[in-house]
Amino acid sequence: MKNSSDKKYSIEISQKEAEEIRNAIKAASLKVMDEYIERMKKSWPNRPEAMQYFYDIAKFFGTREREIQEAKEEGKKVIGYTCMLAPIELILAADAIPVRVSSGFYDPVKLGNRIVPVEVCPVVRSTIGVEMIGLSPYLKLSDALITPLTCDGMTKLSEILSDSKPVWTLYPPRLKDSEQSMFFWREELRTLKAKIEKLTRTKITAKKLKAAIEIMHKATRAFRRLQEIRKDAPVIMGRDAMLVNQTSMWDDIKRWTEKTEELCNELERRIREKVWACPPDTPRVMIAGSPAIWPDNWKLPNLVEEASPQGVIVADELCSGDRFLFDPVGVDEWTMDDMFKAVAERYLLPSTCPCFTSEDGNKDRVNWLTARIEERRVDGVIYHVFRGCMLYAMEYMRIKRVLDKINVPVYYLDTDYTREDVGQIKTRVEAFLEMLKSRVEF
Amino acid sequence: MWLEVLSEILKLTIFAGLALAGILAILIWKKDLKTKVSYLRFFVQATAMTAFFFIFSYTTQLLLILVVIFALSIFFGRFFCGWLCPFALYLDLVAAVRKAFKIRYWNFPDKLNKFLNRFRYALLIFFIALPFMLEKIEPWQWSLAKFLIGPFKLVSVLLGPVEPLVIPWESSLKLYNINLSYPYASVIAFYSGENLALIAISIFIAITLASSFVVRRFWCRFCPTGVSFAVLNRFKIFRWIPLLRLNKVEEKCTKCGICKRVCPAQVTDVYEVKGGDITTSMCMLCLRCVEMCPYEDCLKLNMAGKTLFKSRNWLEPSKIE
Ligand code: SF4
Ligand code: SF4
Ligand code: SF4
Repeated sequence: MKNSSDKKYSIEISQKEAEEIRNAIKAASLKVMDEYIERMKKSWPNRPEAMQYFYDIAKFFGTREREIQEAKEEGKKVIGYTCMLAPIELILAADAIPVRVSSGFYDPVKLGNRIVPVEVCPVVRSTIGVEMIGLSPYLKLSDALITPLTCDGMTKLSEILSDSKPVWTLYPPRLKDSEQSMFFWREELRTLKAKIEKLTRTKITAKKLKAAIEIMHKATRAFRRLQEIRKDAPVIMGRDAMLVNQTSMWDDIKRWTEKTEELCNELERRIREKVWACPPDTPRVMIAGSPAIWPDNWKLPNLVEEASPQGVIVADELCSGDRFLFDPVGVDEWTMDDMFKAVAERYLLPSTCPCFTSEDGNKDRVNWLTARIEERRVDGVIYHVFRGCMLYAMEYMRIKRVLDKINVPVYYLDTDYTREDVGQIKTRVEAFLEMLKSRVEF
Repeated sequence: MWLEVLSEILKLTIFAGLALAGILAILIWKKDLKTKVSYLRFFVQATAMTAFFFIFSYTTQLLLILVVIFALSIFFGRFFCGWLCPFALYLDLVAAVRKAFKIRYWNFPDKLNKFLNRFRYALLIFFIALPFMLEKIEPWQWSLAKFLIGPFKLVSVLLGPVEPLVIPWESSLKLYNINLSYPYASVIAFYSGENLALIAISIFIAITLASSFVVRRFWCRFCPTGVSFAVLNRFKIFRWIPLLRLNKVEEKCTKCGICKRVCPAQVTDVYEVKGGDITTSMCMLCLRCVEMCPYEDCLKLNMAGKTLFKSRNWLEPSKIE
């Protein structure tokens, strides 16, 4: 811990106060998580057994926290990351545990507001608050953080977090498609690799990197298999699939892969037996835009799948969801050089984050969306934007024009980390679903 | 006598071995399409080399062979370079050895590669003109005529890469009465004279193999034969003819960049061009990009509109098991 006078941002919060707030929020969160899981179970009563594992892992302050704690006591390092541009393979290759730490808790936002203005994206404010009181076990347990400087919020967040932890910034070039960008990005990762090696005292050898890449290949395979399953009539509710996606960010990835494959086996059997999770003519919704992060910010998925008429989320375009493990590292030759290049490319080039731009106006993102819409037969898109998330908000028109052209209705939904607007959003979402339903029937 | 019998037996064994290897290669390929097209390609290359040996032993009409190869390449583009060329087999084998030792390769900078892409046409003219220029300098009488009627002279620059390791005619590389050859060896021998032939050829072999150890398909970046195929496909009037085409579906491509990195000829168009027909005069149709693209149906090899081979989600184990 740094001396308080050295701190750049953090407002001192007394140990006692922090503990009090933490315990209060923790108790509330535990309740919320239980409630959400119960609600998910209710809307999908005949869910497969394999789902239970993910509910367990999804619960913060439980199994996974203890596991990581124990691994740490045995000398393992934990490396957190705030954004999916962080190369997980490098963390795994150094025998460290990767965990994603961007926060989805609502209540800590108030603490974040003490440091940054309310106009800032709620993910950033919540993460700051979480760090102040040590709420998230994963953020608390991280020995260091990888913070890609994707947007303004993330950039300053990394400074603020550096008050309490070593923070390794990663600077992605905003233009992906040029030799100099790739060169720069590779150098960034090389620096990062050295830092990881130093912290973990493990040399990332070719053999280790290969093993890590193969672990992630298996995870990607299971991940894509699950997405493939969501293509046709719904055998899994969208919320559950999204939860499976998200648990991969803090679970032991090998075990997660096994469990996901198990789940997929079961779901595939259900496809054959035509056991649907909800009526096959339920409007098929895609969520695009700002991430919906477990636990608290499950507002939108909950609303869509509990609304009447009900919708089912068959796809999302969130960096916390369908995009996370979608791309494999494509190694041509198993030399250190090529593996490293492949890892670097994997995290930069296929990313469709709106922080990138190009002459054709982030066409990569448009292509990703339209391909998914076609493949999953999406009826309508909900474009989810946090107040303060400039990039997703500004790209809305770009996406809307494209979707208008292919005649897919899109609905712009801006929200914040708050429960107050649930009622209001509910009415709007239901109206949208009503409209979709009439289109489907038509 | 017994030597001839032995050589016949040898030939037959090679044939049988190849046939077996072929069946094996196809079986492996069928079982798991992932990165296996490369094995199939190695096999086809080896077969092609043997085939060229037999073709050479039945005809000395080298010009005819050349004409056939060129006529075919009007229709099949640089398929020859990717799949049939014996020289390419040696270069690929060197690369395979490098791979086995886990040694990295180097790329030309993009700019240099693109420059070479245009510059190779000048090189082609130079390569073809070279024999004539040398003829001019050497005060040999009738040499031009000699050159044209000789069995192996004019065409030898263009036919260079096609020569298999063993050739059925007299060569300057001999081992126990077997005539060995190497691409361009005869041309080099012809101009360096009897005494220097062996040295000059050895230097050439060393340079080409070493360079392709460092840079994938080094020679192919400016090989006159390859360039002349490319020229055929570059002219507008020939543009519509090629039957084999690479195709990309823009929406499926996530711009992951894999196709660009794995291309042994450093073709960037597959990555950069948005979609549709992406065949270029640089592409040798080796299909490495297609087999490595991780998205189902994103890259395709089409023949006259019919898809022969396409990219697939290679994380999935093959369905044919
Ligand atoms: S470019 Fe030349 S050496 Fe390379 S494959 Fe083609 S013909 Fe053979
Ligand atoms: S490998 Fe496939 S998906 Fe990746 S950039 Fe090339 S064509 Fe696109
Ligand atoms: S573009 Fe593809 S098919 Fe053409 S040479 Fe490169 S890897 Fe081979």
